[in-house]
Amino acid sequence: MSEAIFQFNQVNRLVLQNITFTLREEDRLIIFGPSGAGKSTLLHLFNRMDDPDQGEVLFHNKPIEQYDIPQLRRSVGLVLQQPHLFPDTVLDNLKFGPSLFDDWEEARAERLMDYVNLPIDYLNKSVDELSGGEKQRVSLARTLANKPDVLLLDEPTSALDDRNIEAIEEDLIRLIEHNHLTVAMVTHSMDQAKRIGTKGLYIEEGQVIEYGDINQLLENPNTEQLKQFLHKS
Amino acid sequence: MERDIPTYSLLLLIVFVMIPFTIAYIYQLGLKKEIIWSTVRGTLQLFLIGLILTYLFDLPPLVGIPIMLSVMILVATFHARKKGKELPYIFITILVGLIGVEIIVLSMWLGFGMISFTPEEVIPMSGMVIGNSMVAMGLALERLKSEFEQNRGKLLAALSLGATPKHAAHMSIKKTLNAALIPNIDQLKTIGLVQLPGMMTGLILGGVAPIIAIKYQLVISISIFSSVSLSAIFISMVMYRFFFNKQMQLLNLQDIKKNG
Ligand SMILES: Nc1ncnc2c1ncn2[C@@H]1O[C@H](COP(=O)(O)OP(=O)(O)OP(=O)(O)O)[C@@H](O)[C@H]1O
Ligand SMILES: [Mg+2]
Repeated sequence: MSEAIFQFNQVNRLVLQNITFTLREEDRLIIFGPSGAGKSTLLHLFNRMDDPDQGEVLFHNKPIEQYDIPQLRRSVGLVLQQPHLFPDTVLDNLKFGPSLFDDWEEARAERLMDYVNLPIDYLNKSVDELSGGEKQRVSLARTLANKPDVLLLDEPTSALDDRNIEAIEEDLIRLIEHNHLTVAMVTHSMDQAKRIGTKGLYIEEGQVIEYGDINQLLENPNTEQLKQFLHKS
Repeated sequence: MERDIPTYSLLLLIVFVMIPFTIAYIYQLGLKKEIIWSTVRGTLQLFLIGLILTYLFDLPPLVGIPIMLSVMILVATFHARKKGKELPYIFITILVGLIGVEIIVLSMWLGFGMISFTPEEVIPMSGMVIGNSMVAMGLALERLKSEFEQNRGKLLAALSLGATPKHAAHMSIKKTLNAALIPNIDQLKTIGLVQLPGMMTGLILGGVAPIIAIKYQLVISISIFSSVSLSAIFISMVMYRFFFNKQMQLLNLQDIKKNG
């Protein structure tokens, strides 16, 4: 079996209760469940944007508190639900993370633009001139600029229309495979879960209801709760 | 010969107060009480200060000046604190800031022989510096809070990219300082053109030659400008930290006090 990257043991935080699961190398975990279930709360525990009230989170088999926080957030990259771009240009956004660690070369900008399928001449465009979909791509590229090993995505396509969603999904899958990323992603779309995910974690009111292979979960749910959720969505 | 305004003509000021009062009455602005109260209060305050000043000016400078400065700084601190009551250590921080600013300007004035250590010179000059610093700190605090409120998303994004609180807050602090300092920069630019500054007006009315009045004005304008900048920078630099916890996580305004 591949190496465990993250282990959550009996984690409690706000609504979350006794969350236990393991995220292995190159897993693509889909976290899903009703609104308010605690999905975003859970995602923020992976890079210490938030901390558990009880329980432990292990990163590479070591308690997560033992890591330097900026370095942890650099290698466990989070893409927020809204792009929240920084002022001025696309390039300024791409440079932001790497510059914090003195690790930026201009050459990387072009490759990042390529990953997220944006034209190179957008680099010097002001972020105010971008469409919603383009902003989302820049936000993704900005996180990738840090060369993370783990990618956390909080509904990365919720603000986009269908055409944009499909295009971003393709880019995502391509760059996840190319960079051998381990992924934890929150999504409301079960189609997207199927296309991107390898594993699934279904939570309801802060509790893990089902955890396993994503196709297994979506096609043969074991619990009444998940059956009902899938029926509704 | 010193100039004075006869008391009976002071009473005529009531006519001036009646103008806004009448307007408030006609348009039912609901400010009638406010206008009367603030006029009465302002008048009483000024006469009271006049009496106290007369008394303190007669004390030896080494006694009177520290007393008067302490009172001014304390009042200013109580006032500016209101703008940041959600923040921990707000009182002590403003107090330290104002004392620091006063020590710096006073050493400069006295050290370079710009003014002499007499209440007549130290008290009004310090009053202007402390008053303006107080306003600047209040402005900076209000702005800092609204910047953090408005830019939550960007701050979260910066932190999640590995920024330290200092890095993440850099943009907000920059905007805060801009907002707090721009009125002062504008004032410095148009000084003497748009309005004759208060101190100069006062000195000229008091019979001092304009060229001497200008020298004093220059000293006070530049002192105010520096101390206002210093105050705003100081309060922002100390206070932004409290918007984060030790784990480099962004706090809500209502959670800050608990954490601090
Ligand atoms: N700082 C907080 N303090 C108290 N409760 C909170 C806090 N943040 C979130 N919650 C609550 O925790 C619950 C889970 O929130 P969370 O944002 O994780 O849900 P979610 O599953 O991501 O929902 P959505 O699908 O709507 O994004 C919600 O009921 C929310 O109100
Ligand atoms: Mg959410």
